[in-house]
Amino acid sequence: MTDKTILTVDNLALSYGSNPILKGVSMELRRGEVVSLLGPSGSGKTTLLRAVAGLEQPHQGSVTIAGRTIYDAAAGIDIPAEKRDLGLVFQSYALWPHKTVFDNVAYPLVLRKVARNEIVQRVHAALKNLGLDHLAERYPHQLSGGQQQRVSIARALVYNPPVILLDEPLSNLDAKMREEARAWLRNLIVELQLSALVVTHDQSEAMAMSDRILLLNGGVIEQQGTPTEMYGQPQTFFVADFMGSNNIMTGRIGDIKGGEARIDLDNGVSVWGLRRTNAAIGHEAKAVVRVEQAHLADASGHNRAEVDLVTSMFLGDRYEYVFHAGNDLLRAWGKRHEAPGKRWLELPGDAVWIF
Amino acid sequence: MLQTLPRRVVVALLALSVFFPIGLVIYQSVLSGPFFMPAAMPSLESYAFIFDDPDFWQAAKNTMAVAFGMGAIAIPLGAILAFIMVRTDLPGRKWLETPIMIPIFVSPVVLGFGYVVSLGPVGFFSVWFAKFFGSVPWNIYSLASIIVIAGLTHVPHVYLYSSSALRNLGSDVEEAARLSGASPFRVARDVSIPMVSPALLYVGVLVFFLGFEIFGLPLILGDPEGHLVLTTYLYKLTNKLGTPSYHLMAAVATCIIAVTFPLVLLQRFLLKSAQRFVAMKGKSARQRPLSLGPWKWLALALILVWLFVTVVVPVAGIALRSVVSSWGQGVNLLDVLTLDHFHAVFEEQTMIRSIINSILIGTLGGALAVGCYLAVGLATHRQNDAISRFVDYIVLTPRAVPGLMAGLAVFWVFLFVPFLSPARSTLFSVWFAYAVVWLAYGMRLIQSALMQVGPELEEAGRLVGASRARVSRDITVPLIRNGLLGAWLLVFMIFEREYSTGVYLLSPGTEVIGAQIVSLWASGAVDVVAALSLINMALVGIGLAVALRFGVKLHD
Repeated sequence: MTDKTILTVDNLALSYGSNPILKGVSMELRRGEVVSLLGPSGSGKTTLLRAVAGLEQPHQGSVTIAGRTIYDAAAGIDIPAEKRDLGLVFQSYALWPHKTVFDNVAYPLVLRKVARNEIVQRVHAALKNLGLDHLAERYPHQLSGGQQQRVSIARALVYNPPVILLDEPLSNLDAKMREEARAWLRNLIVELQLSALVVTHDQSEAMAMSDRILLLNGGVIEQQGTPTEMYGQPQTFFVADFMGSNNIMTGRIGDIKGGEARIDLDNGVSVWGLRRTNAAIGHEAKAVVRVEQAHLADASGHNRAEVDLVTSMFLGDRYEYVFHAGNDLLRAWGKRHEAPGKRWLELPGDAVWIF
Repeated sequence: MLQTLPRRVVVALLALSVFFPIGLVIYQSVLSGPFFMPAAMPSLESYAFIFDDPDFWQAAKNTMAVAFGMGAIAIPLGAILAFIMVRTDLPGRKWLETPIMIPIFVSPVVLGFGYVVSLGPVGFFSVWFAKFFGSVPWNIYSLASIIVIAGLTHVPHVYLYSSSALRNLGSDVEEAARLSGASPFRVARDVSIPMVSPALLYVGVLVFFLGFEIFGLPLILGDPEGHLVLTTYLYKLTNKLGTPSYHLMAAVATCIIAVTFPLVLLQRFLLKSAQRFVAMKGKSARQRPLSLGPWKWLALALILVWLFVTVVVPVAGIALRSVVSSWGQGVNLLDVLTLDHFHAVFEEQTMIRSIINSILIGTLGGALAVGCYLAVGLATHRQNDAISRFVDYIVLTPRAVPGLMAGLAVFWVFLFVPFLSPARSTLFSVWFAYAVVWLAYGMRLIQSALMQVGPELEEAGRLVGASRARVSRDITVPLIRNGLLGAWLLVFMIFEREYSTGVYLLSPGTEVIGAQIVSLWASGAVDVVAALSLINMALVGIGLAVALRFGVKLHD
């Protein structure tokens, strides 16, 4: 633990009845860093966030924020949510419908017995930061979804919490707004030098917004690292599968040479790739290659196979080719429309992972 | 959401308010005399006495007949009514929604009285009917009449539950049946009704135990021919022996609770299993109502006939009776018109007091009761722990105790507890009994309001630094303001309607209209009863009008 660490979660476990949700999760968040909790639904990412916030009851482990232990099962410490001094932006924004925008943002300061004129000044400063100054007297239902989100962020920031927690912050926005909001939010976090823990189920959102990603699966951390590590060097099949658009094929290990292996796929193709499994020759394995790594080639060669191009789909910025190889459907991207027929497809050896 | 200490205080007070009176009844039932008499010894002689009394068994038999008969009438009619109202193109559906609920809000004792003056041997409708047809084919004082009237007036209860179950039923399951080739009536028979059967079973149990607790109707209609049910048997025990035979009353009360309490538990169990069905609620697209074709006029006619019989006949009878000096064959209406009954009411102190008390108990008492229910609701809000489950059971318990007996038990409590006895002859004792009797009803209103508050709104409050108590004050309660107003109005109506709970608490200073009517009826003061009944209905009507004005839903 370095002195830059602001949030430490150590071996946190939580169950609903006899159903374990978190099975011992440890993580750190450093000052000024954005960490995403990524995972499929049911992986425990939201539960972890809520446990840090004090809204869920773990039964093991500890949570420390800025050197202050807020939860420790062994020591019997469990600071209630309102005393943890954290900021949480809810998925649904959770703006209080009976309070104006101003009153929503002012409430945390009222609770902290801040003087009235200072409240006015700080709320307006917070609203101004988020471009909401002109909406102070409105009620939440009079705002658009994006504006509501900003109010919710203003409310979570106004009392300068050491860490801000965001629960699926972009999921309530429509697809187009989401990309803009993503950039805006990342910019805001960097500009205000916030330390943020973000829950998301969208891997591209996680990669775009965060300095580090924690991928959860079934209540444990499957892998953590920077977005480039997570995307480029997945350690397990789950991570490889989750982080991008993939071609996934099953087969048996045909040959092993150090860190590389040859897999003889069920669809008849044999390819060399990076070995990420301890399976011996003859054992079942899976090959994963990102869709953007697979590409058309002119002639036969290393890691190339002749496959049936079935169709080309226009996606706007590119074409997606769909191939038949045995029983598998393979996909690759390219710039041009291609007519159906036999084609050579290359799966580059350094982009194929064998699990 | 309250902090631990206030929460425990609230729950402890609640448990005391509910269990102490009921405990006292059960304790009294195993004594040989009234509990305050030093000579009272533990004994089972009270049970021996009532089990030896043929009247008790006759009353028990009648009670069973009423409970089953009521169910047999109310459940099919209520279910059909719900289907017609929710799923078909019945003309004037919107308009009918409110009148259908009226029988729930009319005091049964008023209703019973209304039937006597309308359909009794010299009732308005009987006299008119006899003029055209020579004689009347009905006898309002027979047990069968009591059953039919009880059945018809409980149709709204069944309607309430089955219509909300039908509304919850996604139209997709019905549409799927239509697309598979089922006719609209096959859909109703094969899909809709079976899918709401848990709700029907639930309401069946409800109607059955309401039948066990029924008091006002048999009191008034059963009296002339001596048809007793268990509650009226209990009520008449005093007359029978001439002395206050508390231990006998307690024994009868315990017998009734022994039947109703398991039914309440069964109901709770059924509700839990019924909720599993709700889970499959589909996306409720705008539903195309089922076309009834020419049948819709028949359906409408039947509903109007039912409303005529259960609402118009008794209410019109009372209204008319309150402004005539006497009535019978060959009497000209214009000769007997008078406002003397109202004059009589407004000249007597006790009557004025009972009206003022009724208004006070409905307005202030209703608000206070809602406040108490809110405190209990907040004490268990979003806390699924042992205390909350305990409160669940406490809240259910008073449902098993008919108002008459709850009033009796509260009367004993105020007699028994030294520091409470000065409050016995104040309105507080009546309010307390009312608040306990209607605890389950009030809690349902409060809880459904609390459930409307998104949990994240409260969590957001916690996160920014508000304690549980602070969240309740600044977020939860302000958000359910409208729900609380609605609860207050509904509790007002229910408190105005209430009659049996105040019967044993009636004393100078604690008169309320309902109990006053019961007591006056016994003395045969029909004129004043008519005037008071009309005033009572007017009070309920005002509550109803205000509730509708504010858009309060009469059901959940």
